[in-house]
Amino acid sequence: MKALLIDSTLCVGCRGCQVACKQWNNLPAENTTFFAGKGYQNPARLSPQTWTLITYNEVKVRDRFEWVFGKQQCFHCIEPACVTACPVRALEKTADGPVVYDPDICLGCRYCQIACPFDIPRFEWKKALPEIKKCTLCAERVDAGLKPACAAVCPTDAIIFGEREALIEEAETRIRKAPRHYRNEIYGKDEAGGTCVMHLSDVAFSDLGFPEDVTKQSYASFSGPAMNVIPYVLTGLGIGLGAVSWIVNRRDKVAAVERPTESREGGEL
Amino acid sequence: MNNQQVKSGPGVVILWLLALFGLVLIVYRFGAGLGAVTNLNDGYPWGLWIGVDVLAGIALAAGGFFLAGICHLFGGKKFHALARASITTAFLGYLLFIFALLIDLGRPWNLWRAIFNWNHDSPMFEVAWCVMLYTFVLLLEFLPIMFEKYTWAGFKKLWDALVPWVIIIIMGLFTFAMTDSVGWTVTIAVVLLVWEVAMRTGLMPRDKQMPILLIMAGVMYSTMHQSSLGTLFTLAPHCLHPLWYSPWLPLFFFLSAVMVAPAMVIFEGILSEKAFRLPSHFNLLSSIGRFMPYVLGIYLVVKVVELISRGTALAAFEPTTQAFSWWLEIAVGVLLPMALFLSPSVLQSRAGLFWGSLLVVAGLIWNRLNVAVVGIDKPGWETYYPHWMEIFITLGVFAIGLLVFRWAMLNLPIAQEHREVA
Repeated sequence: MKALLIDSTLCVGCRGCQVACKQWNNLPAENTTFFAGKGYQNPARLSPQTWTLITYNEVKVRDRFEWVFGKQQCFHCIEPACVTACPVRALEKTADGPVVYDPDICLGCRYCQIACPFDIPRFEWKKALPEIKKCTLCAERVDAGLKPACAAVCPTDAIIFGEREALIEEAETRIRKAPRHYRNEIYGKDEAGGTCVMHLSDVAFSDLGFPEDVTKQSYASFSGPAMNVIPYVLTGLGIGLGAVSWIVNRRDKVAAVERPTESREGGEL
Repeated sequence: MNNQQVKSGPGVVILWLLALFGLVLIVYRFGAGLGAVTNLNDGYPWGLWIGVDVLAGIALAAGGFFLAGICHLFGGKKFHALARASITTAFLGYLLFIFALLIDLGRPWNLWRAIFNWNHDSPMFEVAWCVMLYTFVLLLEFLPIMFEKYTWAGFKKLWDALVPWVIIIIMGLFTFAMTDSVGWTVTIAVVLLVWEVAMRTGLMPRDKQMPILLIMAGVMYSTMHQSSLGTLFTLAPHCLHPLWYSPWLPLFFFLSAVMVAPAMVIFEGILSEKAFRLPSHFNLLSSIGRFMPYVLGIYLVVKVVELISRGTALAAFEPTTQAFSWWLEIAVGVLLPMALFLSPSVLQSRAGLFWGSLLVVAGLIWNRLNVAVVGIDKPGWETYYPHWMEIFITLGVFAIGLLVFRWAMLNLPIAQEHREVA
């Protein structure tokens, strides 16, 4: 399974990946405004036109303030919450790794947005014929044996593309070689059951704009118990309700035989 | 018919105005997109419509399966007089709910895809199938009213002959769609088939008016549907407040639907007596009122025990909007009506029954809003409050529902036997 490893300590915040993503995916520019708190970050958050975004964060690193950069995009979870949520399989996890979307099937129920722990899928609120939009890991490029656009342009190799297992090894090697430099953690290795976009950092991942308390379980394990119990409930009800009706109707029938004058067979509906 | 007896008061005029205004806004919504009429955003993609029109609307239609079950399965024959109105309410409620859902869905023209594109793991897939098949079951339960109205005796015979087999087929199909298992599908089909054969051979007594399998299917789909709406939120552990998030959400949604079902029957019964000048079923409604403390009590105990066992009960005492909203839901929707329905004088008075059941209904609506809106917390996103157009579209949808229900009550043989007396 293919994946991305993003090393925030190598990122210089050039936003070449943001531009490359827009170019490859034909995404229009956004009319943006300045907003408080994030310095030169632009735009403020992901949108239907912006599938990846470098967050600008001023964080205290080794006693001085520094700019550190996080890369927002779809995490392409191994067992994605959105894929479990989607009632019609409009969102699907491909064998290669990308989580892809088919608007021709989508109902627009936006359950994927509720379920995603990383707050990634975007909905076109302003359109009469809206779609869900998010990073595709450049699935068609990956199919053709190319790197995703963002990884292809990154000038400092902060974004590298490869087999997930190999990238985890690479990340562990980097941490082992510079244990004081990196936090001893690969964000995405186990989050939400493991993702295909993983991050290394020298600051807390929450400082880069990622949710810190994401469960290590896959999301399918949350809805699974309730879904698996369905056939037992159905069978139980099928047997139980029939039996109750038999007993009750039989009791009525016996009562009717004993007191024939009061009986009204069938009654009216 | 004596329709003239029931005059169109100012209430009906207001309903028409709300319905028409709602329709105008709905047309605008389809032209301009969801963002133009709602305050929803990518952080809060579900709002008032999901909370009230969908989650609460479905729970309020629970009176249908509750009374149909009590009446035809549990021997509550004396409740026959109320069963038809409840089935009609549930049927119209589900049609209305589908209408509301089409407004909320971003791409409603793809709705039929749910029939062919199966995702066995998705709670929303279960919801979609329950909606389709339970609406179909309600249609089947409702049809005899139409046969009676238009005296289509031939159709009634066909209906009698076909219904059990149709039920076995759709129940099997549903099981297959949910489990992808031939074994379970065969199990369900065989269970139902055994009952049907037992009834046909005279081994098992049968209800001459309503096929037992139809009523059973209604109860089974309702159970699945009510609970599946809770299952939806099991996929929101990261954003739903711990006072509501629980692996047992499906059970709570089912129990609270069972709790609101009798309240809805009482509420609707008293209102329709007034609105349509039907003679009173006060004794029936009062004896349903006697049920209420039990259903409310069971719900309360299960809910509190679960909160304590999960170690989140203390969250109710933190000074948060969510804690306040939780207390409001429990106090107004459970504790207060429980106290009311325990008092004999309340059970003996029309006003007491009315206000008691209204509280339960309001509490239920508040509970669903809490789960869908108040309890959801997405850091970094502007908190959601409904746009005025969202509110008026919801009002419009409910007004349309009430007008259709009014028409049905006045024109279909739902309360016929009683009308003749009047």
